[in-house]
Amino acid sequence: MSRTSIIALLVFGAILGYFLSFGSETTRKFQASVYQLLAPFFTTGSGLQKQITSVRTGLKSLEELERENASLRTDNRQLRATNQALRDVEHEVNRLRHALNYRERSVFKLIPAEIVTRDSSTWWHTVTINRGKEDHIEPDMPVVTDEGLVGKTTTVSNTISVVLLATDENCKIAASVEGTREQGIVAGERVAGGIAPMLDLNFLSKQANLQPGQKAFTSGVGGVFPAGLFIGTVKSFRTRELDGQAKLAPAVDLSQLEDVFVVTGRK
Amino acid sequence: MIFFFILLALVLVTQIAEFFIPPLDWMYNAHIYIVPVIVFYGAMALPFPLMLGLALFAGVLLDALTVQVIGAKVEISLGWSILLYAVLAGIMHGMRPLFIRGRWEVHCLLTGLCTSAIILAQYLMITFRRGSVLFSREVWWQIGGPGLMAMLMAPVIFWVLQWLARATRYPYLPERISFE
Repeated sequence: MSRTSIIALLVFGAILGYFLSFGSETTRKFQASVYQLLAPFFTTGSGLQKQITSVRTGLKSLEELERENASLRTDNRQLRATNQALRDVEHEVNRLRHALNYRERSVFKLIPAEIVTRDSSTWWHTVTINRGKEDHIEPDMPVVTDEGLVGKTTTVSNTISVVLLATDENCKIAASVEGTREQGIVAGERVAGGIAPMLDLNFLSKQANLQPGQKAFTSGVGGVFPAGLFIGTVKSFRTRELDGQAKLAPAVDLSQLEDVFVVTGRK
Repeated sequence: MIFFFILLALVLVTQIAEFFIPPLDWMYNAHIYIVPVIVFYGAMALPFPLMLGLALFAGVLLDALTVQVIGAKVEISLGWSILLYAVLAGIMHGMRPLFIRGRWEVHCLLTGLCTSAIILAQYLMITFRRGSVLFSREVWWQIGGPGLMAMLMAPVIFWVLQWLARATRYPYLPERISFE
């Protein structure tokens, strides 16, 4: 091995050691800066992809009309999402009517965002959105659509954020099932082979006996997801050695996502 | 040296492009990975120090754009992909004499195998972290599928890169071009 190669190997080892010593916070900051650096490429790529898709599907319209339509669609979705949030709050209020700790709930503050890219890795289910710190987005904020829960933010740069989808095994959501006192933890499957990945609702009681069609909502435990967000519908239930497990169909078709809303708080 | 920077630029562009390539639903949602093909070509065409540089750049990009930080937990520490790329590229680099003689078929096969090896290593690491071992048909397809696709893409990508190398008067070209 030549002297140059040995020096190169030593430099490489030093840089590798430096990266391996990164903690979670440093990693997150480093990732945020890389995303920030590449944000213009992602947004340009996303625009190009949409144009190509638009041409491919034969949808041709005037630029002005397209912009107006997009704006109206965003408004419409925001209103529907607010409406959904109100319905979720109503559901929560009804559920807690008999409880003494009744308190008035208000609707969520929603920031509309557009999907820029979808997951490019095999083992993590993520999307990136065109909102970041400049829009007051922070890590661990819930992301929803008018149909229900999408996931939560993880890495946040100034203008772009990564959203960990509910279908990822790492996205753990405390849930309750409508019409029952059952509570559990929703997590995605590690590997989803089908087009529509399913969710697992774990740690239910063995006597839960959930029926297909019952809806699961966030229970608000854990602090990340507020109570009452629609997660998914029960498809099947089985008992395991220690607990019961239900398979859920996600409320939102995550493969068709275009616009989402980040929940930044309550109004 | 120009060719090295072209490879760096191509790694960056393809890493971004991979975000816009949808997974193959007919192959159990297997993803298409182009970056490893470029890195492994670089492993054969570049001298050892530059090969390490390319592996470093590709590994940093891969980790920065894909690895997830959940709360205070990092599933795969930043740097592991650099090590994976460097080790696998080192193996490919060891077969450089074959490449210089213009025999590329082994490298095309190895590119596919090494691409799958990266995804398998990632899977083993997250499996270790998450604490339960699961190997289903879907898992094997998601590991093997990208390797298969890389193997199929390798001859075309190698040919394009070879053309670029000649266009930039890169001095370490094979004696015989097997795709001509």
